[in-house]
Amino acid sequence: MIFRRKLLAVFALTVFLSVAAVAGLVLAVTRRAFERSEDERTAALVSQFQREFNRQGEDIARRVETVAGSEAVSRMAITLSGTAADSAGYLDLAKSMADSHQLDFLELVDEHGTIISSAEWPAKFGYPVSGFENFSSSNGQSAFLMQEELQDSTSLGLFAVRATHAGEHPVFVIGGRRLDRNFLSALDLPPGMRALLYQNRRDHFSGESLVDPSAPANSTGGEHGAENFATLVEAVQHYNQETTGIVHWSSDQADDEVFHAIPLRGVGKDHPLLGILLIGHSRRSYVELKRRIRDSALLVGGGGIVLAILLSGWAAARVTRPVEQLARAAHDVAEGNWSTRVEVPGSDELSQLAESFNRMTTELLTQKERLVQAERVAAWRELARRLAHELKNPLFPLQLTVENLVRAREQSPQQFDEVFRESSQTLLAEISNLKAIIGRFSEFSKMPHPQLQLVQVNEILRGVAQLFQAQLQAPGREPIECKLELEEGLDQIAADPELLHRALSNLVLNAMDAMPNGGTLTLLSRRHDGRVIMEVADTGSGLTREECERIFTPYYTSKQHGTGLGLAIVQSVVSDHGGRISVRSEPPRGTIFVIELPDNPEMRQKAAAKTPENAAQLRQ
Amino acid sequence: MKRFVWRWLAVNSLLMLAAGAETRPQYGGTLRVTMQAAPTWLDPAENAQTDSFARRNLTRLIFDTLVTTDDAGRARGALAVSWQASPTNQRWQFHLRRGVKFHDGTALTSEVAAASLRAANPTWNVSVDGDSVVIERDIADPGMLAELALPRNAIAKRNSDGNPSGTGPFHIVDWQPGKKLILAAEEGYWRGRPFLDGIEIEMGRSFRDQMTALELGRADLVEIAPEQAHRVPLDARRLANSAPMELLALLFTRDVQTPEEKSLREALAWSVERGSIRSVLLQGGGQSAAAVLPTWMSGYGFIFSTDADLARARRAREQVRTIPTWTVAYDSGDAVARLLAERVALNGRDAGLALQPTSASTADLRLLRIPLVSADPWIALAGVASVAGAPMPKNEGGSVEDLYAAEQAMLATQRIIPLFHLPVTYAASASLKNWTLRPDGSWNLADACLGNGKP
Repeated sequence: MIFRRKLLAVFALTVFLSVAAVAGLVLAVTRRAFERSEDERTAALVSQFQREFNRQGEDIARRVETVAGSEAVSRMAITLSGTAADSAGYLDLAKSMADSHQLDFLELVDEHGTIISSAEWPAKFGYPVSGFENFSSSNGQSAFLMQEELQDSTSLGLFAVRATHAGEHPVFVIGGRRLDRNFLSALDLPPGMRALLYQNRRDHFSGESLVDPSAPANSTGGEHGAENFATLVEAVQHYNQETTGIVHWSSDQADDEVFHAIPLRGVGKDHPLLGILLIGHSRRSYVELKRRIRDSALLVGGGGIVLAILLSGWAAARVTRPVEQLARAAHDVAEGNWSTRVEVPGSDELSQLAESFNRMTTELLTQKERLVQAERVAAWRELARRLAHELKNPLFPLQLTVENLVRAREQSPQQFDEVFRESSQTLLAEISNLKAIIGRFSEFSKMPHPQLQLVQVNEILRGVAQLFQAQLQAPGREPIECKLELEEGLDQIAADPELLHRALSNLVLNAMDAMPNGGTLTLLSRRHDGRVIMEVADTGSGLTREECERIFTPYYTSKQHGTGLGLAIVQSVVSDHGGRISVRSEPPRGTIFVIELPDNPEMRQKAAAKTPENAAQLRQ
Repeated sequence: MKRFVWRWLAVNSLLMLAAGAETRPQYGGTLRVTMQAAPTWLDPAENAQTDSFARRNLTRLIFDTLVTTDDAGRARGALAVSWQASPTNQRWQFHLRRGVKFHDGTALTSEVAAASLRAANPTWNVSVDGDSVVIERDIADPGMLAELALPRNAIAKRNSDGNPSGTGPFHIVDWQPGKKLILAAEEGYWRGRPFLDGIEIEMGRSFRDQMTALELGRADLVEIAPEQAHRVPLDARRLANSAPMELLALLFTRDVQTPEEKSLREALAWSVERGSIRSVLLQGGGQSAAAVLPTWMSGYGFIFSTDADLARARRAREQVRTIPTWTVAYDSGDAVARLLAERVALNGRDAGLALQPTSASTADLRLLRIPLVSADPWIALAGVASVAGAPMPKNEGGSVEDLYAAEQAMLATQRIIPLFHLPVTYAASASLKNWTLRPDGSWNLADACLGNGKP
């Protein structure tokens, strides 16, 4: 991944994380604030309901007190205080009083708890009131909850007890209202709030016991998802304390409702759980607001991220452009273009770096020119030395021969002819030697430019081995074994076969010179990292480190009669092919010359174009 | 002094004349009567309608029977002036009164009388023998006279328009079935013209409405609910109670199927607190009953215990593992019946039974008011058996022992649980005089007349 992309990714990730963190923080804070608000609202609603509930209780207590203080009940109490009192005449009194005072339940009970008259179950006269001992003491107190047994069911009601002491024996008036859908509907609740009642008739949850004033009158609890309250109700049944929970009505959270479950307990020492009041309000406003915040956060976050990417891209481009320029310039320098320069836009660290780079390349260029100049001078010196050395050797015999001729002419004319003949042969030989020397220098100076064509490296290596096979095994010298370690399947490369053959031949000749006592000559080919490698290895005495460093320098030779141009020619050939040659030697184990040639497709394409017979093969 | 004596004698004579005029029946006036029942058919032989005291009253106003029974239950001649029974009580011959005419002016003949009796009793062999009617039965029927005294055996002539014509003291002027009946005195009534010129009867009125109408002076004769009989704020002289002629009972709609069901029915019978129900729901009216026939009729009713025995009821119930829920049907128009059904269900629950009061027509039990059709115990028992679906009692000897055995047999079927015997109570305005109730609860308006309002 390039630096710009990394920088862009880092910037974008940083912005994304920042936005996400901010959005999450906002959401969390909002949620907490809303939950706190919801809790406060629920508490307020519950408090309001409690007040309304208490108000209803006070209203019931007031009505019961009115009944207890009525003339009819007082007269009944007086009558029943007498001897041989007959309560039969008051059978309908409770019913009529309940109707006139809008009470659902009304029972007139004697001091022993026996029903004299019952509005809700007239036929129950003479029966004892269940739990009378518990709430007879509630006379004068506020309303309380009680489970009233009816003919075919039980009903939860809010009751009050008042006593009439008109006669000797008190008459208790137990009146109340049914906690049913009408009672719940009559409650003055704030908008968005609703109250349901669960009548705790069984230990386990039953949808039929749920009173929902918002449901149709003839519907059962199960038809309107009463089962959704099961968890909440069972929690209250289990823990017997107020509980708050969320009731899910659909997959849409906006339909959820928060219900606060209040256990309704009756009178008595055990305070039995008679019912559960479920006060609920919709979470729609909260959920929708939360969704709006979330959507806004996502929108802002998304926009921020997009903007961050754009800005990051711009910033990364601005930051990385000088770096990239420096990278390209360094690459150019590495490629040999030492005159590469980079812009110096400002005065920051990158600009200083660019300026330093420019200064470095300038310095390198200067140093290079100096080095080239020095090398050129050194080369000329070496050339001059070599020329002097090479020419001095034939010239000295020439001089001696000519002096012999002069001396023979002067001293022994009778032997002059013989001397002349010998001297002329010597002269011719040395002149021929001079010509040869001049010819080699001429040849070195006229190194032809490679004529590239597709060649099989292995074929060339085999050709070289075959060419020198006879010399390697020539009589009069120690035999040299030639080993071919060629990697099969090497592709053709673009090269000049003749120059390559000459270069390899020079290396083989060097190897032979290095193994006067015989040895092993190894010719190797292989592919490595997209390049074709050729090695010429001998098992001779090897080269010193200094020799290895200078061995490719023209006119440098470690041999007694070498011109020092052989390996220079080899290097020149390899260099002209875009390759490179190196040498490694471990005296006295031998020397290995390694030629690396590029396998450039473009060069192969060009070479194939020059060799039509190969072009078709390449295209295939 | 002599002058004073004469004046005193004159004033006293005038006062005595006035007093005599006040107590002596007076002709004229229309009697206004209200009733809760709403009969839609006046034919006494029509069996589709349930028996009721109201129907009996209407029948006796328009129709006559061959014989009647007095307060002691003795047979008296009516349309029949005499009769002979065969020694085996299987053949009865009745000689008709001469000169009796139907309201349409036609004469009463033995053929018309025989046809009327055949219509009311399809199983009887009724024939004509000159001016007499002969009734022959396959079995001995010592109660034939009491049977013929029943309103349903009144002699009626069926006209082509569908309205029956009778020989009774009043004839029909206007008849709106189930709503209103206007009768006028029959001038040529064989017993003599009634003192009343006519009777207007309004039907389908509740007890409360009837009482209100009486208090407002819009009615002269009204029905009083049994449970209100003791609490009507009226002079006792304006009230008339019959003997307990109505049986309030629980009727099972089917025979006992299993021993378990028998135990449960027994448990229910023992669980009912008749005493408290009578004292509160019936306000002390009527008599608690565990027998079908009232004591005044049978003479042995007190033998049957009416006290609840909850322990015994529970023991009977505990013999059964699975308790079914019985539905108890009651007349939705009868408020007391609903309370009674609820109380019975409550008592049953104390014994471990499950009963559900209902106003539906189909139920496991029915709470019924059964008017006893006759003061004759055998006829009354047969009537109850007919309603209860129990086997008909066979009156072979007519002794009290036989009657007791027959009643015991009926109760042993456990198709019926007697609860109460209720009287029929009427209240009259102060202006209605000389009216009485017959033992079967029907009006006796033969000498009734409307006065000036003072009792």
